[in-house]
Amino acid sequence: MTEPGGAGDRELLLRYHESGDLEARQQLIERYLPLVRSLARRYANRGEQLEDLVQVGSIGLIKAIDRFDVERGVELTTYAAPNIIGEIKRHFRDKGWSIRVPRGLQELNVRLSQLLERLTVELERSPTIPELAEAAGVTEEEVLEALESGQAYSTVSLSAPSGPGEDGELDPLEALGELEHEYEVSEDRAVLAPGLDVLDERERRIIHMRFWEGLTQSQIAARIGISQMHVSRLIRRALEKVRDEIGAGKPSG
Amino acid sequence: MGGLAARLELSYETLEDLQLALESVLEQDGYVRGDRVTVRLLVGDESVVLEVGPLDPAQLPADLGHPVAEGISLARLLSTLVDEVSLEERDGAHLLRLEKRASLARPETREPA
Repeated sequence: MTEPGGAGDRELLLRYHESGDLEARQQLIERYLPLVRSLARRYANRGEQLEDLVQVGSIGLIKAIDRFDVERGVELTTYAAPNIIGEIKRHFRDKGWSIRVPRGLQELNVRLSQLLERLTVELERSPTIPELAEAAGVTEEEVLEALESGQAYSTVSLSAPSGPGEDGELDPLEALGELEHEYEVSEDRAVLAPGLDVLDERERRIIHMRFWEGLTQSQIAARIGISQMHVSRLIRRALEKVRDEIGAGKPSG
Repeated sequence: MGGLAARLELSYETLEDLQLALESVLEQDGYVRGDRVTVRLLVGDESVVLEVGPLDPAQLPADLGHPVAEGISLARLLSTLVDEVSLEERDGAHLLRLEKRASLARPETREPA
């Protein structure tokens, strides 16, 4: 198969855009599928099958080919990559919950996250399940179900790639709650203990604060300016990554 | 565990810590001996105790309860998440005993036993 980029691309793009040659379009798609696969791989293992992400990324590729302006003088590679990544990110955003969770439960989970913050401040301690239920106007069973369903969100990308992406989109959870704002990178970096090198800086710092400094979830949440539930998800996700990384899953002990 | 936590009026953070402690033990290969595991939740006046077993003591880290390993070991996780960690042998089976001191959030609202 011909490598993407260069004069070959331009010729195929001209044939497609100026003459409507669908064969040329198909050849471009095939040329760029390895790029799609490579980018999709970066987002795999987050609750979605690689092949599904390749399919989603391919849509971004096709859109890039169809919208490409041959007069702009940029390489298709340069234009296609952010389109492919953008499509994959949109997929995660739209399908953020890794298992099908009813919308009502998703909304309750978001509401509980906000109530948890408010009650923790008001009561000066972590609220109980009955207190959360009372504040939310739902049953204790519904609170527990919503909290449990919230764990289904843990497989979504939380921070890698972190912050605004190439297309300016925020990661799903960073856009989820009003209370969550940008984590400010501190110079006080967490120690790079064995097994922690698979974590990104924010995960490492949170793990360090929780398991070395002994801060509670709510203290960590207050310190870095994200919600307590987000801290909980990040801790679980980080520990999963460490477990996956360390051989058969058993941490060095 | 969530249902019991609600009934006992454990705080959200206490419930989170107990769940994460339990997950840390159960989600790693090799700790559980056999294909069945029993989890018991014992409720005291000022603490709750999780008993998990039977476990394979040879697979468990030696520094349980006093983490010395530099990395994110099971010992470090458990020593943060609960207050007391011990391994007990009962009827030939090894049980991990995780005790979490948890003053109930609203003891005045609990009905007398």
